[in-house]
Amino acid sequence: MSYEIVFKTEADMPLLPMSLGSTLYNKTGSWRYVRPIYRNKTSPCNHACPAGEDIVTYLAMVTKGQYEEARQTILQENPFPGVCGRVCAHPCESECNRAQLGGAIAIHSMERFLADLPAPRTLPRLEVRDVPDARVAVIGSGPAGLSCAYQLARSGYKVTVFEALPAVGGMLRVGIPSYRLPRDVLDAEIEAIVSLGIEIRTGMRFGEDLGFEDLDDYHAVFLAVGQHRGLRLNVPGEDASGVAPGVEFLQRVNLGQETTVGPTVAVIGGGNTAMDAARSALRLGASDVAILYRRSRHEMPAIPEEVEETDQEGIRLEFLTAPVEVLAENGRVSGLRCVRMRLGAPDESGRRRPEVIPGSDYTVDVDMVIPALGQAAELSFLGDRAQVERGRIAINEAGAISRSPSGADRWPQGVFAGGDAATGFGTVAHAIGSGKRAALAIDRYLRGQALEGFPPLTAHLRVAPRDVDPTVVRFEDINLAYFTEEPRTVQPQRPAAERVKGFGEVNLGYTEGDALKEAERCFSCGVCNQCDTCWLFCPDICIRRLDSVPPSLEPGAQAYQVDYDYCKGCGVCAEECPREAIVMEEELKWRK
Amino acid sequence: MEKVIMGNHAVSYGVQLARAQVIAAYPITPQTQIVEILSEFCADGRLDAKFIKVESEHSVMAAVVGASMAGARAFTATSSHGLGLMHEVLHWAAGGRLPIVMANVNRAMGPGWNVWTEQTDSLAQRDTGWMQFYCETNQEALDTVIQGFKIAEAVLLPVMIILDAFVLSHTMEPVDIPDQAVVDGFLPPYEPEFKLDPGDPHAFYGLVTPEHYMELRYKMHQAMRDAVQATQRIGAQFGDVFGRGYDVVEKYRIEDADIVLVTSGSITSTARVVVDTWRANGHKVGLLKMRLFRPFPFEAVREALVGTPKVAVIDRNISQGHGGIFAAEVKSALYGASQQPVLFPFIIGLGGRDVTPESIHSILNHTQSHDMPAEDSIWMEVKK
Repeated sequence: MSYEIVFKTEADMPLLPMSLGSTLYNKTGSWRYVRPIYRNKTSPCNHACPAGEDIVTYLAMVTKGQYEEARQTILQENPFPGVCGRVCAHPCESECNRAQLGGAIAIHSMERFLADLPAPRTLPRLEVRDVPDARVAVIGSGPAGLSCAYQLARSGYKVTVFEALPAVGGMLRVGIPSYRLPRDVLDAEIEAIVSLGIEIRTGMRFGEDLGFEDLDDYHAVFLAVGQHRGLRLNVPGEDASGVAPGVEFLQRVNLGQETTVGPTVAVIGGGNTAMDAARSALRLGASDVAILYRRSRHEMPAIPEEVEETDQEGIRLEFLTAPVEVLAENGRVSGLRCVRMRLGAPDESGRRRPEVIPGSDYTVDVDMVIPALGQAAELSFLGDRAQVERGRIAINEAGAISRSPSGADRWPQGVFAGGDAATGFGTVAHAIGSGKRAALAIDRYLRGQALEGFPPLTAHLRVAPRDVDPTVVRFEDINLAYFTEEPRTVQPQRPAAERVKGFGEVNLGYTEGDALKEAERCFSCGVCNQCDTCWLFCPDICIRRLDSVPPSLEPGAQAYQVDYDYCKGCGVCAEECPREAIVMEEELKWRK
Repeated sequence: MEKVIMGNHAVSYGVQLARAQVIAAYPITPQTQIVEILSEFCADGRLDAKFIKVESEHSVMAAVVGASMAGARAFTATSSHGLGLMHEVLHWAAGGRLPIVMANVNRAMGPGWNVWTEQTDSLAQRDTGWMQFYCETNQEALDTVIQGFKIAEAVLLPVMIILDAFVLSHTMEPVDIPDQAVVDGFLPPYEPEFKLDPGDPHAFYGLVTPEHYMELRYKMHQAMRDAVQATQRIGAQFGDVFGRGYDVVEKYRIEDADIVLVTSGSITSTARVVVDTWRANGHKVGLLKMRLFRPFPFEAVREALVGTPKVAVIDRNISQGHGGIFAAEVKSALYGASQQPVLFPFIIGLGGRDVTPESIHSILNHTQSHDMPAEDSIWMEVKK
């Protein structure tokens, strides 16, 4: 609609160039061919968390002082924030986009801060749901077993957990020393889970004290027996007195059984068990502790912070060396014969394969040798049902045969497996995620629903899912105009000289100020945190704030509305958005 | 209330008393103090205005244009290169008929880089459609801000208030700061006939074809013409209320004068002293102070100068390839008059070089001793 007005005299004209008619009829949104849409995406931390925590959301809650909401957000997915805040290998931080601008967010310290809040810890039960009257047996009380039991119990299922050892907690209790994970923290988290009404039966080793035939009363079984057998060195002299596999050594120490260490201790391996064993030996009175690793520091699978702390405590790290013989006198360890190694071409793990340097033999005097080369599961209980591949149970959390379909029919119905014994991941977070996945699968199974297409553990398997686009936001998606380099806040530690005197906790955690400061550094990758940038920048003033929502709006909730009558689709909002929470989509797609 | 304040702050107090609602600014020497103290007024609540910091003078003018379109009384201040950067948007403000008031502290344009006073920056903007007032004293600067808003809002044209760098901007003088209530009575709130209003949306500043463009410019010209009378009317009204009246020009001892000096800005005060000295010695000399430069007060200039034998125009500016700008404009006003004076065009004090009483003596001596100017432009005190 356009027509020309011609004024006869200047006196009829307005004194400035303007339309005399209202422009309300002119809906300039009709010029648009792409439209902005608020769409939360996946932050790299959330993407990386094996336990499926909604990290970006709870960090946003911390910035608003909503500590209890933040803690409850974790507890939806993981009943062990106190454990994970201390011992998780935090793959979330390795992916964090902040890493390139002052260091990754110290997510583990944030999690620990929330877990340690003084307010009474209550685990969130799910809304009462109509669950089948079914009993579930969980074999193993480690993080996988308890994670599964927690999710089932809070849904309303009756759960019994069978534990081989006299104490509950699996590797959390017998594998991890108390200077990293104080017993009262572990006890409190386990107590909270058990208090949901879970029956715990300790001293019940599966395959010895009970078997599949004793579980007829249970409608589903979750096998989460862990990996408690240390791998052998496979060198001559290994059976001499004074050679103690790392997992067994740590189990004795952690269960409070009497343990003596020689003054000179050699630990073999580069993982967390090696670090734990070496540091425990030091605390038990060893005067000279060395860790021998056949590759270099770069290839060590242990958490870098653990390696750093080990180093600080005066434990010698000797790289590119491997024992070839345990030397003994009168049946007792007296030394090690080692060879020097060098790194060759990468192996299937992507790490460079160590090769022996010919003629580089040397010997060292030691009183004790602790091999810590990795663990295997004790799976003899499977008997002729054996479906074991590479030392792991060959079914997964969804109850399906994971590798050899031909053996499927040999499994009794309703048996599921997870944790290290099935996945081999070997981290607490993976075990927790695995247990949760099993609980969700068992729930589906007990309702008679098919398990085909059940989401894998690597996906965002959430008890409390959020509506987010699976696209992961990376550093190049972040609008750096809005962020400056700010250093990561590192939690304080007790000095090395003091902490080696006992098993008191090494790391001291965040203050509230530290936590707020660290949470503020979060980019909130892909998740709208109501920063108002789009609202301020819109040149057509067609982004409206939904003012009806309370100020304590949940992170990620939609806080703005685009008036598409006037949005011309310029894309300034999406371009300016500091965190890639707005997408531009072609208008034609919306016409369909 | 009387306060001893610098010219820059006199402007700031004028803006505060005028109850400006939006101030946008980018700092530049020697203007910065004007908006610096205004930002404090805005921060501590002494002035209920939105202070917008922007990234350049071009954006400054765009911001005050937007504010003015939305119906706010808007102010800014700048100088020299900052004013030059605004150039495009100055046309926008005037063509949009927006009664913005801006202070410009005269500073020479670079290169050579220079922060001292010279009028070329503001005079180079004479064709943008902005009114221009040149101030002699700190008091006049404050008073002209208040009058400036009233005049601008009466004729719907923007106003530039101009003061000399350092000589005025940074020099302390006693200044009477009027009572707010009295100023409120003199200057009511701005209520535009047209403004940006989401409730009654109109399209502003769109395409205008040859069919109508010329009429819009004609209307601006009419408004400029009306602005001369508006300045006189409002200046007189200001005198009634505050006891200090203003006109478009000021005539000082020009009756029966053989020579009249034409000055603007702070040079006027120096010239006034010299005129008194010459009069005391029996010479018939006088002074015409140019307060309003745009619109050019043809009538007042003719009335003051026609019949005077000699006129000496002092220009602290230079239109390269032509000469002193005030001289050219005064000359154009006298064209065709029956008793045209002989006009002596002097260029002096560029880049902030001091213009002293001795300088003015030299100018009068030169004018007195010559029948006709020897050159198109007489450059004073140039090291030749």
